Amino acid sequence: MSHMNHEPYETLAATYAVGALDGQDLVDFERHLADGCDVCQAALRESAETLATLARSRPPMIPPPAVKEELLRRIAAAPVPQSAARPRPRPLVWAVGTVAAVIAGAAFTGAFVASRYEAQLGVMARETAALRARVEREEAALREQLAVYRSAADLLRDPQAQVVTLRGLGPSPEATARVIWHPANGGYLFVANLPAAPAGKAYELWTIGDAAPQPAGLFQVDASGRAAHRIAPVEGGKPVKVFAVTLEVEGGVPKPEGPMVLASAK
Amino acid sequence: MATIGADLVRQMAAGDRDAFSVFYDRYAPVVFPLILRIVRERADASDVLQEVFWEAWRDAPGYDASRGTPEAWMVMRARTRAIDRIRSTRRRSETFVAPLDENLAAAPRDSAPDAAERASNRGTIITALDRLPEAQREVIELAYYAGLTQTEIAERIKQPLGTVKTRIRLGLERLREMVKTPS
Repeated sequence: MSHMNHEPYETLAATYAVGALDGQDLVDFERHLADGCDVCQAALRESAETLATLARSRPPMIPPPAVKEELLRRIAAAPVPQSAARPRPRPLVWAVGTVAAVIAGAAFTGAFVASRYEAQLGVMARETAALRARVEREEAALREQLAVYRSAADLLRDPQAQVVTLRGLGPSPEATARVIWHPANGGYLFVANLPAAPAGKAYELWTIGDAAPQPAGLFQVDASGRAAHRIAPVEGGKPVKVFAVTLEVEGGVPKPEGPMVLASAK
Repeated sequence: MATIGADLVRQMAAGDRDAFSVFYDRYAPVVFPLILRIVRERADASDVLQEVFWEAWRDAPGYDASRGTPEAWMVMRARTRAIDRIRSTRRRSETFVAPLDENLAAAPRDSAPDAAERASNRGTIITALDRLPEAQREVIELAYYAGLTQTEIAERIKQPLGTVKTRIRLGLERLREMVKTPS
């Protein structure tokens, strides 16, 4: 099939290179790649180099120094990566290290015992890999949360930052919220005791200055009624007099339509 | 030049932390603007950047120079992780869903600004991407920077799926020619 007409695959390869292939096309193309198509592999390599050149053609930007500092700290604390000679993942190697003594003992007792331990080793390696994947996922979630708290704390250190209290209204009198707000950098909304939005609905935040209310993002609350929501700065740094939250359709609306559930005092 | 980068990755694979430091200084300024362009928030971009370089350190032993330059290796990682980030925030609807591209959202297609105007709107230099025909630039931006799939792009620009794929291919081919022979 693949040598009959290759042209359609070239279109799929381009779409794959920009990360947009989906559905049956994606399945077909990945199968084609797995069959070992050198032409498509080469096309993907060339596209990746093109996109890299495109990235380099933009003016470089020095990232915040804290990123490198943190990376160097993590690397100093982490085990050294395994040599390229070992094709398979670290968990196995790690497991080999921890049960090396057991293996040695088994070899002493007899070859068939050793083979039993090797089978067990495989199981351990798989379990270790699964555990590691879970820890990594949890770590990523925690890091994301930490980043929010850290940025909020940074914001609070700025003398220009204000803390604004929002009170629950109408349907949700128990709800409370605070906004940490910086005119130039935007801020964060922290919500508590707000009931989950009904299916198909979401909460929408508004910033109100002298003109019409401006949409400031959609959010949902978690099972405990809490939410942390990043607020982008208002265009041109215009002052915000009131922060308000309404209940709207899930996709959000350009002007508030639904009931107001939280608002700051004027 | 590329061989210096490849050497650095080899040294990283052997656990050389100084090599990592040089590698970071060399590639972070290239991938950071790309990540920032995709995720838009500086704090998010810093997070993603850290993740990307952490993975580079971890995965350095698996790097194969015959399969691409370290730059392409890093740019691809950076783009993928940045898109993962915006997709997960979109899913959780926690963050303001910004228009995918201000230029696309603001300008009706028939009065699209020309390349120079678009570039100056964004405050950047004109890249090869800005010199593509509008229809091709649009689909590549929606895919590569906004993380839309071919089906989502077709819905958004109201064109058949086949047209979307063809435009992506033609655009990418033209980009390749342009970066090979920069004018």
